Amino acid sequence: MKHFSFWRNQFLEILKILVTLLVGLLMGAIVMQLSGKDWFQAYSALFSSALGNRVAIANCLLAATPLIFTGLGSAIAFRTGIFNVGVEGALYLGAFAAAWVGFTFITLPGWVLIPLCFLVAAVVGGVWSYVPGLMRARLTVDEIVTTILLNYVAILFTSYLVNYPFKVPGMANAMSAQVAQQAQLTRLMPPSQLNTGFLIAILATVVIAFIMRYLNLGFELRSVGDNPIFAKWVGMPVQIIIEKVMFISGVLGGVAGAVQVLGVHYRFAANFSPGFGFTGITIALLAHNSPIGVLFAALLFGVLRSGSATMELFTDVPRDLIRILEATVIFFAAMDFSLSWLRRRRDGIHH
Amino acid sequence: MEFITNVLFSTLRVSTPLILAAMAGALSKQVNLLNIALEGLMLIGAFSAVIFASVFGNVWYGLLMAVLSSLVLSIIFAIFVIDLRVNLIVAGLAINILTLGLTAYLLVVLFDARGAFIPNNVVGLPKFIIPGLDALPFLGKVLSGHGVLVYFSWLAVLLTHLLLYHTPYGLHLRAVGEHKEAAKTAGIAVKRIEYLSILLGGVLAGLAGAQLSVGDLTLFNENMTNGRGFIALAAVFFGNANPGITAVGCLLFGLFEALQFRVQIMTGMPPQLLQMLPYLIVVTILIVISTRKKMQKG
Repeated sequence: MKHFSFWRNQFLEILKILVTLLVGLLMGAIVMQLSGKDWFQAYSALFSSALGNRVAIANCLLAATPLIFTGLGSAIAFRTGIFNVGVEGALYLGAFAAAWVGFTFITLPGWVLIPLCFLVAAVVGGVWSYVPGLMRARLTVDEIVTTILLNYVAILFTSYLVNYPFKVPGMANAMSAQVAQQAQLTRLMPPSQLNTGFLIAILATVVIAFIMRYLNLGFELRSVGDNPIFAKWVGMPVQIIIEKVMFISGVLGGVAGAVQVLGVHYRFAANFSPGFGFTGITIALLAHNSPIGVLFAALLFGVLRSGSATMELFTDVPRDLIRILEATVIFFAAMDFSLSWLRRRRDGIHH
Repeated sequence: MEFITNVLFSTLRVSTPLILAAMAGALSKQVNLLNIALEGLMLIGAFSAVIFASVFGNVWYGLLMAVLSSLVLSIIFAIFVIDLRVNLIVAGLAINILTLGLTAYLLVVLFDARGAFIPNNVVGLPKFIIPGLDALPFLGKVLSGHGVLVYFSWLAVLLTHLLLYHTPYGLHLRAVGEHKEAAKTAGIAVKRIEYLSILLGGVLAGLAGAQLSVGDLTLFNENMTNGRGFIALAAVFFGNANPGITAVGCLLFGLFEALQFRVQIMTGMPPQLLQMLPYLIVVTILIVISTRKKMQKG
């Protein structure tokens, strides 16, 4: 019985995601109509190019991969009532860390080097997010402001690293050296760049779903998210839970960065992320912080992102339209009552 | 000497958008509706100012449209947050993403410009040489000759202060921020107060954006605000939403921005490291403030 209701809930969740996304598409159509663009043609181009053949579909999965990680990273923090906006920063530092390990320890065999890259990226991302978590938990420093500000620090710092100490002479753009051949993730469906990072993303979804559903930490973080005062009164170590969750959130950001470096670019380039971390926030909100919902929502956004480039090319509708769509999705997802946990946090958790 | 006057002059100039936005932030913080959307409101203001100044061939129309566009978005923000009870952080982030997308989209669709729009027919807001002050040896070079919004931003600090601490409206506003239910019981029209402070903030944020795009240079870049809305919010936290102290915080940021450029040229320090510093300083200040509060509480 319990399992039946679990699957029914997942189904309803996915249905909600679809409806919200349709509202977003509708808004996009209205904007295009008003600005004199043929929305039908634009959407046709978007979806037919994104889903037209096997390689195109692989490219959608590729575009979804970093979003799955950043979506999960945002979702686990949000579920705890922590508004971590800093996944983007963790992603940058994780990406650089993975690249550094990948181009430094080039004598290691792949089966050691790849896990090492991921490990270092995860720890770097985790520690990076742990700091605002610590400040939030111990000193009640507002985590929204700190994580937003620290994002800038992470982006600028990694940019400094590849502009100065790790600059490759002769490169036009600021980027690191290439990671060793054996550190590069296997491509699953050439000529698409889709790689084993996607499988790691699926694995991460399962792990986070397991943590949130079955582990003690999951129960604790859900309790803190639902009612921090109650959680404190029944003796839960609220501060430690917040710190742990922020660490995990950062780990996911770091791994997202590592996957982009090891699977797609093979090096770290300054300012490489088109806001993966921020779209992760949208995805977590859209999915109401359910890990399986995040997976599904990220796949949908993968389709949009992957198709929007072709749309821009063939119909002169700029791909910035996707952001307008994204904002609409956030508004409508947030109007849902499931977000009541977020409404409470302002009053509750600080005391 | 000239170095110092130059630095201070630019400090005042680059602080202006921060001060205007921070006053908006202070109003919202005092009514307990922290305005995360400042970044987006400034961006739409900057966009409208230069676009309409170019279309009408008159920078004042641009200024007016900057205020109106920011006001419209503020109304949307207020409806979602106050009436529909959407979480204000989420709504704020949505406004920011919306403006980022919308301005970039319109830039391409309307002007076929990707990334930047540099009109050739727009003259920036007028500069004022203040008679008398102008003649003073040191102060004249620092204080005189700024754009109109620079002077308005100082006025805005004063007005915000008077509004908050010397009018019944300000008293009500702070009462709502302190304890909404109690304010309601005392007969204060809570919703109206909340709307007013968000919309007033919208006006200020629109002006802040206009200062960026037509205050000095006359151009618009994609994501031109580049985090200034959040820096303004950080200043609000720094000043605990007190207009005067918040403005001082903004001036400190401005000083840093003005110095950064020059220090970089003089010392050859990597620009990225210098750019990082203000963010790190804010975070440090936030930690210090919170630690002090914590210690006071015991």
